[in-house]
Parts: sequence; C-alpha cells; structure tokens
Amino acid sequence: MQPRHFDGGRLAAAIEMIQRLREGCAWAALLWALVAGAVHAADVTLTAQKDDRGRPVAMAQPPQRIVSLLPSLTETVCALGACDKLVGVDRYSNWPKNLHATLPVLGGGMDPHVEAIVALKPDVVLLSNASRVVERLEALGLRTVTLEPRTQADVHRVLHSIGLLLGLPPEQGAEREWQRLQAGVEAAAQSVPTAVHGARVYFEVSRGPYAAGPSSFIGELLTRMHVGNVVPADRGPFPRLNPEFILRARPDVILMGNHSMQLAHAYPGWATLDAVKHQRVCAFNAEDSTTVVRPGPRMDEAARIIARCLVEKAPRRAP
Amino acid sequence: MSNVSKAVVRSRWLAVVLLAATAVLVVLGACVGSTGWESVWRMRSDPVAQQIVWDIRFPRTLGAWLAGALLGLAGAVAQGLFRNPLADPYLLGSASGAALGGAAAMVLSGTAAIGMEWMQRLGMTGMAFAGAALAVLLTLTLAQGVQNSLRMLLAGVVVGVVLGAVRDMLELRYPDILQPMKAFSLGSTAFIGWPACLLMVTAWTVCALAAWSLARVLDGLTLGESTAASLGLPLGPMRAGLIAVMALATGTAVAQTGLIAFVGLAAPHLVRSIVSVGHARSTLLSSLMGGVVLLTADILARWLMAPEELPVGVLTALLGGSYLLWLMHRGHAVRQARG
Amino acid sequence: MVRSATHTVPALHAQGLHVHMGSHQLLHGVSVQLPAQQWTAIVGPNGAGKSTLLRALAGLHPRKGWRGQVDLLGQPLGDWPAKARARTLSWMGQNEAVSQELCSYDVVMLGRLPHQAWLAPPSAQDHAIVKACLHTTQAWDWRHRPLAELSGGERQRVLLARALAVQAQVLLMDEPLANLDPPHQSEWMDTAKALVAQGHTVVSVLHELSIALQSDHMVVMQMGAVLHQGATDDAATHAALEVVFDRRIRIRQIEGMWMALPG
Repeated sequence: MQPRHFDGGRLAAAIEMIQRLREGCAWAALLWALVAGAVHAADVTLTAQKDDRGRPVAMAQPPQRIVSLLPSLTETVCALGACDKLVGVDRYSNWPKNLHATLPVLGGGMDPHVEAIVALKPDVVLLSNASRVVERLEALGLRTVTLEPRTQADVHRVLHSIGLLLGLPPEQGAEREWQRLQAGVEAAAQSVPTAVHGARVYFEVSRGPYAAGPSSFIGELLTRMHVGNVVPADRGPFPRLNPEFILRARPDVILMGNHSMQLAHAYPGWATLDAVKHQRVCAFNAEDSTTVVRPGPRMDEAARIIARCLVEKAPRRAP
Repeated sequence: MSNVSKAVVRSRWLAVVLLAATAVLVVLGACVGSTGWESVWRMRSDPVAQQIVWDIRFPRTLGAWLAGALLGLAGAVAQGLFRNPLADPYLLGSASGAALGGAAAMVLSGTAAIGMEWMQRLGMTGMAFAGAALAVLLTLTLAQGVQNSLRMLLAGVVVGVVLGAVRDMLELRYPDILQPMKAFSLGSTAFIGWPACLLMVTAWTVCALAAWSLARVLDGLTLGESTAASLGLPLGPMRAGLIAVMALATGTAVAQTGLIAFVGLAAPHLVRSIVSVGHARSTLLSSLMGGVVLLTADILARWLMAPEELPVGVLTALLGGSYLLWLMHRGHAVRQARG
Repeated sequence: MVRSATHTVPALHAQGLHVHMGSHQLLHGVSVQLPAQQWTAIVGPNGAGKSTLLRALAGLHPRKGWRGQVDLLGQPLGDWPAKARARTLSWMGQNEAVSQELCSYDVVMLGRLPHQAWLAPPSAQDHAIVKACLHTTQAWDWRHRPLAELSGGERQRVLLARALAVQAQVLLMDEPLANLDPPHQSEWMDTAKALVAQGHTVVSVLHELSIALQSDHMVVMQMGAVLHQGATDDAATHAALEVVFDRRIRIRQIEGMWMALPG
C-alpha cells in the first residue's frame, strides 16, 4: 500500500481545494456585495423618493427655477451640476463662492423674505422642515421640498432626492457624485498615518462645551479617519458635556469649531490637559468650520481638513 | 354731569382717531415689504405683484393689527382683573405655555415621531395655542380657583418659570430647534395668511363682546373686592369668564405671531393717559390702541432695513417703552411742580 | 334722643355665629338682634371682632369660614338673590383698596350698580341720586377730581356718598368717621339720624365713643363675643362700656348728652 505520510499529491489537491474555496468565497463575497449594494442602493432610491415630510420629491417636469434656503441643499444642487438653475439663495449659503454676488439673498432659513421668494416665481423651494415658513409658502401656491441632511447616510439620500428632483438618472448624477465623495473620504483616511490610528479626539462645536458625538456627521468622519471619540456613542449627536468629563477623558487632540473655546479662555482646569499643554489643538477658522460641520457634498473636503489636522497635531504612537 | 359726558365724548373721539390711524396704516402696510413700492404700482399688470400685495402684505398687515388688538384687549382685562398697572396678558403663564407648545411642535416635526400625526397636523400654531391654554388651566388649578388674585399671580409666575425650564431642557436635548425658537421668541408677522386673519377676527369678536359685557365686574373691582361683592356682582363666574377671555385672546395672538412683548402692557396705559372712562369703553379702546401700536411697529420693522426685517418685539418694546418713559417723566415733573 | 317704635322684625338677626379664619377663631357663638329703623353702634376695644361681625352680617365671609345663621329682614341671608340683597344692604368697609385713578363722581355712580340693568348706562335718576348723595356728604365740589388727589377726609366723604347712593334699607358702615374732622363727624351723625328718621337702618362700627353714645342701640363686644346689647341710654349699657374698656372711661351726661370722659 502507499506510505502513510503526507504525499505531494494530496497536498496539491488540498491546496487546489483551498484555492477553489477562496475563489468561491471571493465570488460569493462579490455576489453578496453586489446584492447587498443593490439592495442598499434600492433602499436609498426608495427613501430618496420622499422628502422629510413624506411627500414625493419628483415633479412632472424638472424645475428650471430653484430657490434654496439651506446651504447644504444649495451645495447639493451645485454638485449635481444644476447651479445655473438657482434663482435665489439664503444668506448662509457660502459655497460656491460667488453666489451672493450673482444671486438675490433671501434672508435666513428661519426668517426668509416671503415676498421676495414669491416675486422670483420659483418652480420649487428647497428648505429645512424645521422652518415655519414651509406652510406659508405652500399656502401661497409654491412647491416646497423639505430636506435636511444630518449624517453621511442623509447626504447619500439627499443626493439621490435632489437628483430625482432634477430628473438626473442616478448613475450619472447622484450615485456618481456619491462614489466620488466616498473616494475622496477614503483618500483622506489613507493620508492619516497608522501611527495616529486610535488617537482619541475631542471635537468642540461651540462653547458650552457642546461636543460632536460619534453619531453626528463630524463624528462619523472621525470614525472613518480611524480615530476615536472621547464622547461615548450613546450621548446623541451634540451633547453638552461637563468640562470635567473632558479633563478625565484626556483627549490626544482637540479640534475646535469657530464658536468654541479659545485657548486663551480655556475652561477652568484645562491648562493641565496634555493636549493643551503640548498645543495639540486645531482651531478651524470660520470657513473651514462651516465646511467641517455642514453635512453635504463637500464631505470629502471636510475629511481632508480633519485629516490634515490629525496629521499635523495628533501624537504618533510608538510602534 | 357735563364733565362726565365730556370724558365719554373724548373717548369717542379717541376711537375715531384710532380707527382712522388704522386705515392709514393698513394702506401703508400694503406698500411696505422686501420688494418695495413697485409691487403696488405693478399690481394691475403683474399677477405676481398682485399676489404679493394681496396674499402676503394685506394679511400680514391686518394680522398685525388683529394680534395687537387681541393683546391690547387681554392687557386691559389683566390690569382690571388684578388691579395692578404692571399686569400684562402673559401673567398666567400663557407665554411660557405657548413657547413650550411651539418647541414641542418643532421637535415632533423634526424627529417625525410615529403616532403623533395629530400633533403634526395641529402644526406650530395649534400647538402654541394649546400650550397657552393648558398653561392657564395649570395656573388656575395651582391657584385653586379664581377667587384669590394674589394666589393666581403667584401660581402664574411659578407655572411660567417651570414651563420655561422644560422648554430649556427640550432645547438642550434637541439643539436644532434653538434658532427657530429664537425667531419665535422675538415675534414676527411673516407667517400670517388669510386663514390666520379669519381666525383672529373670530377670536377678537368673541373676546371683545365678552369683555364688554363683563366690564361691569372690572368697574366694581376698582372699589375693592369686598365692596364689589356687597354690590351684588357674581365675582367668581365673572372672573372665570374674564380669565377665559384673556387666555383665548393671548393664546390666539401668540400662536400666530410669537411672543410680542409690551403691547398688552402699554396699550391700556396709553389709553388711560388720554381719557379716563369705565372699563367697558377703556377695554375696547385699549384693543384699538394695541392694534395701532403693533401695526406701526410691524411696518417699521419691515421698512427700516428693507429687505431685511427687524424683529417686531424689539420695536414694540422701543416704541411702547419710550412713550411710557416719557409719560412717567412728565407725570413726575408735574407732581414735583405741584409740590 | 327720640327712640322710634321698635319694628317687630329686626333688620339683622344673627344666631350662634361662629367665624374662623384658618385655625384662628374670630367670633365665638355670637347672637345679636339689630332693630330695624334704628341706629345701632357696635363698639369695643381693638381686636374684639367688630369688623368681623359686620362683615358676617353683610355676608362677606367665605362660606366655609363661618357657621350659624344670619337673617336679613327676617329672611336667611343665603335665600336672598344677590341683586336684591345688594339693593337692600349697603356695606362700607374700612381701608378698602380703592383704585385711586377714578374720579369721585364715577366712584359714587358705582354705588348704583345694584339698581342698573346688566348692560344699561346710568339713567337720569341715577345721576340725580348721585348728585344728591354728593351734596349730602358735601363732596360735590371735587366730583371730577380723582381720588388720588383728595385728602383723607375728602376721600372718606366720597366713599360715604357711594354707600348712600345704593339707597339701601340697611346700611352697614365700618369706621365711617376715619379721617373726618369734628365738623364732618357731626354732619355724618346728622345724616345717620336723618336716614333713620326716613325709615332706614344704620349699623356702624365706631371708635369714637362720644358719637356712638348718641345712637339708639348699642352692641358691646369683647374678645369675639357680645358682652351686652341694648338701648344706648340704658345704665346697663353704660356699665358694660366701662367694663369693656377696663374702667379707663367714665360715662357722664353733659348738657343733656351722654359723653365718654377719660378716667
């Protein structure tokens, strides 16, 4: 009989079997991804059909005159290439840069100039559902679509909603833009060195201190940059924390939004924080601040800003 | 006797003047807005301009007057009921209740909670009104009835503070609503359409009739509670009726325009500085005066920095407050001179 | 001092009246009969419960603050419809918080409320009565001035006119002579006597003993109970007065009128 030792034939067969298994798994994974992706895409296409009030987004004819009263919606419209269709924006829409010079400014999202909006004869008005003016505009016969992106998933959905509104097929419009954004965020994440991974970050949105939790848009970006958040996940998107908590949590890096703590006026006791002592603080100016805080189609830029800060200021962990 | 009817004649003149001022201000209000005078000139040819003037400016203007009239009426009733010249229509906690109702409405619309559709259908206006009404009921329950004015005042203060704290907690938990709540607190007539005007007219008619018929008890109360009771006035039910009038008028006004301060406080004083008549006349005159004050403030708010709008509440405080300061200063000087 | 014939039905009759405020007992089982068409004075030291008794007789205490029975003209007070009672019984309080902005004429006109239909303006008769009352208390000259501008005595006379304007059969007045100088005090006394002569009943709580001694009937109170009630001229009444004031006064007759002299 054949010797009872591991002979080459069986090994080869085993290796081949393992390879086949791998391929099979890879195919299965790919298939699963495709199916899941398709399902997910179908998910988002489904939810994107309704706005925040549950009303259908699509119109009989794609609109030619659009008024936008929310900066992230303005940016979304422009990202999908329909900037020329805008006839009026709110005062906080600051991107693209020259909008305020060329378009009428219609007040804020909460207190817009109703008359001026009506005078512009828009086909649709884009705004947040929180504004009381929605009912007023509807009563005056204007078509409104209420959307407000708050998380990355929202950005994806709102891209699709606006794409539907504009009559763009998703592969050429919303989905393509989304893939581009994802690629940008990934690139930013790659630029963060491995030695920085796992650093603990505290992002202060405004004086209070109001922190950005992991479920907020900023928190999601931080997670993708492979860093941790000192705020526990169960606290909601923007909890107001006790400054003691931050002291105890000892973050490695502090990121400050525009309206938050200035180093010179730190909270009592924070001078002992390592991050403060070693100047591991990123203070964003007004423009960068709004870019980072605003969930919208500039999330790749937001990711780049955060990554840059982490690269500069985060402590390298010893390998 | 001729001097007594002199006051009555004077009050009639005041009413005529206020109504004439209203007419002038309404026309002015139709001409003022973020698109300026052009809309009026182009009204005939341009349907959009017509829509602007007819569907936006007119209801806003009339709404401002009606809200001011409701607040002036409620203020006169409050000052007569509590026999306190510092009383205003928000005394029984209705302002805090309305603000809390509005905050709850915003939270619900933002989070789209299931099962709360009926609340969403009420909208911000309905919720604010419900909040005001419930706050007044809470105050009355806490004060154990309408008999004791001091207890009612204290209960109103307590309810106001507690409901304000609850609203602060809501704003902390859902910081998204901070900005719209700020806008609500400062007051605005931008959200008033024709249905809102109709609602306010109905409320004003009901409240004015009720206040006019119940004014007798306010007259009697000027002699003191015991004397009023000895004159056979049914204090309990009439007080309850007047509080209902106050709550209805304040709740309706606040639900439509947000919290506009000072109109309810200043209008009765302004009327009393011009003419001194019984409560039946002075309540209605306070209502007209309140309408004129708020409408003037609203027109200025829309005009001064067009196309930007100033918050109406700031202007009512400036207008009403400055006039009252001047009155006080003049009264003080006269008293000083008299020695 | 002419005493009119005693009417069979007393104007006000209280039986077993207990009044308390919170846990504090103000009146202990008081029973009084105030004769009709006479002037009764209620006297006693401070804290005796005089004002409390007057308020209870006027029906002004909250219902759960008292128990007992009070009859007005023979009928229980609770049975009287509010307006009829207001027309029959006029009450003037002590230190009531009156709004100081009203002019005197309007204040007196408010006394006509029990007679006016619900939304009716004052009639010519109302105006005539107000005028007469203002003349009676000699307050006609400042009928257009607000109360804030009047002195204490002038204000008191306006409030008296208000009480008179009700034209009620029974008048209850708590310290009607507060702030009044002697000439106006005697005028008030003359008015009270004239009213009694016309058939009204006047009940007044008085601190001024010398004036109180001119009344027809007297109720002497002490510490929430009635010590004595009877005709003012009675020796027993005088004795009760001296007892209740710790014998610090002496009741003497001077020029035919009884006076209270410091002892």
